[in-house]
Amino acid sequence: MANTETALKEALASIEGATGAALVDYTTGMALGTMGGSKSFDLTVAAAGNTDVVRAKLRTMEHLGLKGQIEDILITLSDQYHLIRLLTGRGGNGLFLYLVLDAKRANLAMARHQLRKIEEDLEV
Amino acid sequence: MTMVATPPPPPLPTRQRTQIPSGGLSPMLSRLAAERATGVLMREGGLLHLADGQVVYAESPATPGLDALLIARGALDEDGWREAVAEAGTRHRVGRFLVDSGLISEGALELCHLGALYDAAYFVLGPSSAPARFRYGEAHWLGPVRPVPVAGVERETVRRRELLHRIWPDPATDEAPLLRTGHPVVTSVTPRQGEVLDRIDGVRTAADISRALGRPAFHTLVDVRRLAAAGAVTARPVPVPGPAPSPFPALGAAPGVGPGPVPQAPSPPHEAPRAAPTDLSSPFADPHITLLKRLRDALEAL
Repeated sequence: MANTETALKEALASIEGATGAALVDYTTGMALGTMGGSKSFDLTVAAAGNTDVVRAKLRTMEHLGLKGQIEDILITLSDQYHLIRLLTGRGGNGLFLYLVLDAKRANLAMARHQLRKIEEDLEV
Repeated sequence: MTMVATPPPPPLPTRQRTQIPSGGLSPMLSRLAAERATGVLMREGGLLHLADGQVVYAESPATPGLDALLIARGALDEDGWREAVAEAGTRHRVGRFLVDSGLISEGALELCHLGALYDAAYFVLGPSSAPARFRYGEAHWLGPVRPVPVAGVERETVRRRELLHRIWPDPATDEAPLLRTGHPVVTSVTPRQGEVLDRIDGVRTAADISRALGRPAFHTLVDVRRLAAAGAVTARPVPVPGPAPSPFPALGAAPGVGPGPVPQAPSPPHEAPRAAPTDLSSPFADPHITLLKRLRDALEAL
């Protein structure tokens, strides 16, 4: 029964190495909520840009005729991980959770697991 | 000898680029935010409800409301919604009631609410020549769900205009009845776009399709512009004579609501606009002209 703010707060607090989180509508690229980030890392800009990543992947799957659903997308930078998790709940159509992790501190498997739990909590 | 009186060809429609004002979208709104006003701002495109200078709700005839979106997504049924409005509407606590009675989770309500708010605000804050009015002191029946600062709503509205412009710079498809061109689509159409495409019949506008699908209207504008960019969809060139079958005549009477003047050429007087239901009677039916227009648009968009 979390609201978006507590869900994002929880993501930052409970996921080791998380430095920013956003909930994004991938049709419009709008961040419906952001938490964390910094002056040098604008989450709303990242949110808008990463909608193109999600759309490109969805389109490619369409081209390939793949019927599966995207659960998450992982992008590894030299010092960061970016984790995108598409929401599947009844209200969450067209939304994704976006998580920025510090690669030195993060445990990817744990982060994925926690993110899945947060998505369930959000109940959208 | 004989002078053949050939009427001059109609000029190609010219477009105005999306204009983003340097200041706020509505000086009145900025002033209301500064004085932390509570009430409802009435503009040509719809209503913006404020509480303490923040936007708490927005509604526009151009887009389905929060109730329609919640019901369409299966998050709520019509009875649940009616009960909530009857129980808590007069106390301005409908949102709280929905959450407290377990009909919807707080997160789901917030997300749907924010989606609907920004969506309607885009249309409310569209360019308008009619004066805006503000009525003080009217709290909205939904009650506080997630108020948004005026600056945030304006910023998002401008971002959305730019997004549409980047996808396809011609706003003609935003308001006009839509036609399928029948051209083979090179890029693949996503399932969501496919549902939009299936409902294009030469009569429906993007707003009609949004209502039919229970989707925010801006999402449909995005899909339609992408389809237009792919050459699959075009605005119906000849305006439908007579009143459009729109359940919202107020909007139909306001042609200046969109992000720019609709660049439709007036139908040439020497042509009967209803001569044929296909677009063959229009001056834009010539595939070469259509191609040249698309080429020009694409070059301009670079």
